[in-house]
Amino acid sequence: MKNIFTATCIAACSSALALGVTVSSASADEWPSNDVRLVVPYAPGGTTDVLSRRVADLLQQELDANVIVENRPGAGSTVGTGRLARGGRDADHTILMASPGHTIGAAIYPDLTYDPVDDFVFLQNMIDIPNVMVVPADSPYENVIDFVEAAKEDNMTFSHSGVGSSIHMSGELFKTLTETNLTAVPFAGSGAALPALLGGDVDVAFENMPTVLSHIRSGDLRALAVTSAERSEYLPDVPTLSEIGEYNLDQFITTAWFGLIAHSSFPEEAQSTMREALANVMEREEFLDFAEQLGAEPGQVAGEEFKQFIADDLQRWEEVAQQAGISQ
Amino acid sequence: MEIFSEVIQLFFSVENFLAIAVGVVIGVVVGSIPGLTATMAVALALPFTFSMQPIAAILLLVGIYKGGMYGGSITAILIRTPGSPASACTLLDGYPMAQQGHAKKALKAALYSSVIADFISNIALIFFAAYLAKIALNFGAPEFFWLICFSLTIIISLASGSMIKGLMAALLGILLSMVGLDDVFGSQRLTFGSYNLMDSISFIPLLIGLFAIPEIIEFYRKKAVPHIKAKASGAGLAFSELKRCMKSIVRGSLIGVVIGAIPGTGATAAAFISYSDARRRSPNKANFGKGEVEGVAAAEAGNNGVAGATMIPLLSLGIPGDVITAIILGAFMVHGLTPGPLMFQENLSLIYALFMGIMLSSVILLVVGNVAIKYFSLIADIPKPVLFPIVLMFCVYGAYAVNNDTFDVGLMLAFGVLGYIFNRAAIPAAPFLIGFILGPMFEDNLRRSLLIGSNDLSIFVRGPITWFFIALTVGSIALAFYRFLEERRKTQDKASKTS
Repeated sequence: MKNIFTATCIAACSSALALGVTVSSASADEWPSNDVRLVVPYAPGGTTDVLSRRVADLLQQELDANVIVENRPGAGSTVGTGRLARGGRDADHTILMASPGHTIGAAIYPDLTYDPVDDFVFLQNMIDIPNVMVVPADSPYENVIDFVEAAKEDNMTFSHSGVGSSIHMSGELFKTLTETNLTAVPFAGSGAALPALLGGDVDVAFENMPTVLSHIRSGDLRALAVTSAERSEYLPDVPTLSEIGEYNLDQFITTAWFGLIAHSSFPEEAQSTMREALANVMEREEFLDFAEQLGAEPGQVAGEEFKQFIADDLQRWEEVAQQAGISQ
Repeated sequence: MEIFSEVIQLFFSVENFLAIAVGVVIGVVVGSIPGLTATMAVALALPFTFSMQPIAAILLLVGIYKGGMYGGSITAILIRTPGSPASACTLLDGYPMAQQGHAKKALKAALYSSVIADFISNIALIFFAAYLAKIALNFGAPEFFWLICFSLTIIISLASGSMIKGLMAALLGILLSMVGLDDVFGSQRLTFGSYNLMDSISFIPLLIGLFAIPEIIEFYRKKAVPHIKAKASGAGLAFSELKRCMKSIVRGSLIGVVIGAIPGTGATAAAFISYSDARRRSPNKANFGKGEVEGVAAAEAGNNGVAGATMIPLLSLGIPGDVITAIILGAFMVHGLTPGPLMFQENLSLIYALFMGIMLSSVILLVVGNVAIKYFSLIADIPKPVLFPIVLMFCVYGAYAVNNDTFDVGLMLAFGVLGYIFNRAAIPAAPFLIGFILGPMFEDNLRRSLLIGSNDLSIFVRGPITWFFIALTVGSIALAFYRFLEERRKTQDKASKTS
């Protein structure tokens, strides 16, 4: 019995040590008066995580306060985002790196506990990554028109990295707009999806630019179009889908966007401090280099404009999800 | 010649050597802490590599990856708590060995087989990358489907004792693996509306609960477990024992290499396949699961064989096979390098320098591992009344750390109760785990094949690889059936003789 008591004491002491106490370095009168938490609603290792860690590093220097990255993965990004929406004690020092999962998740999960637009303030769109419509090198389709015509005749397949990813929804959007016979083939992540495309098991994919850029350059994949509004500087010869001008494709403008948001109670002062700091971060060479290596373009919108962008994005995905019959 | 001097120049720098050593140490330590995986460590280390030279940066991450692969086995053997999913298989024989006073031997067997497998995996990466990458590209959903079918037949060989209980456990594993979102339609399955279950049941809380908690319950129920008095937990691994395991280690390494080269399978499956293959061939079959050193060696060879081989699709095709290599791909890109066929043309000297570093990481793993064993094996000598509360704390912390979520702690405790019931009812845990790991792969690839082939079943026999695995599957089932009949005949003979 004595042994068990000693042991419990040891366990209690080690727990206390393990939990630790965070001590803030900043002063109390102006924002940030505490450490800033940057919530990543995904597991470590993905684009959102890597980007967040880079931004946290630079933001820390701009704010002169600790910026701590915290991963809160689950159910798309809705678990982490739901926690932010609930607010709480630290809401005035918590920001979150949102991505297409924010709007797509809201479009496909019916019972979300939060409103993806009204429950948040939108600080800054950090980067945009276009998707690329790619076919295997030995595919008979040289351009989008050829592909659409063939897909109206025959059943075609597209690979994607998981239900509700921007890669999946882009394919569904294409299918809806062009009224073609496209079947979605799900894979666990782009890494697993890519071999199916390279090996010719699926006909087409709407992959993130950084994932396929090297394969396009090496000639293993052929880019038919990019999904952004403007041509990408990385693939200047590849048209945008909206340029095609047929089959309703002029409405096809989508990018994988990444931006920082906060709870709607985020103080006014904090918002302006954050926006200024983020604008500085985005001008820094380290950030621009980083964006270039990701195949991304620096984000264009902030504040109210960013909010409107999210609202439009949400509306579009709601329509696509409804037409494609995707809803959880 | 020019390239040779360039490689030497690139590779021989203090920064590179330090990066590998620091990486391996971080990997071993993090890997050995339940709930902290090599994946997390690699993700957390990534920002620190931004300012490093590209080779040192990649080698640091590779070092963590390899160290973590081995580190997971330490706590699996010592406290029945797998530090990482891939080491779940190691504890099947590792923990019984530790209980019998052979902790050090088990740890050494794990280390040596890890290092050998790592070495073989590196050789495969360096010499056969292009060839294996081609196989990987020919490995589509139907091929995958048959590979998984074959792997599922290993349940038969692992269901020692009662076949019915083994199958029951496997089916329960498959059932629980279905919790979450449907992969094709995204609809919810068995989540009962809980957001926490939408991402399916987290593997690490399941593992910790299933293995560590029952030991703790058992201890407090009985109040006293005979403490093994052995100095620093027994003798090391004799050379003759290593030699005996050598065949299993080499076979396990090759299994790891093939599985690592195909994106999306993972080290955990490799460990189980290697383990059951070793068991099937071993003359000491009956001793597997009760503390067989060959079991530890085979499991570790399987999961470490994967580590070098996952770099094959990454470097030669630019395809990351798992989350860790996806992060390493990110590190390449941050340094302006794009893995893939073009890299072999444009940055050949860099690739060779990287290969040298990867080879060196095996040697460093051996050194670091030996030091780690010296201190870690002391854990086996801590009196259980002191050790178990600390283990329980680590269990709670480990389950929480995966997603920073208290729900996972509850999940872990629930699986603890299940594990305890398994122990009491003598239901083997290995088939349960295999069902849980391979079940979703089976289903996904079946459905994927049907989607790709527009529901035409001929896609399942579309090429030599599918036929090869069909033959293996049929052969494996036939062999098991033959053995079953053989055994029944023997027992009948015995019965008739005695009567």
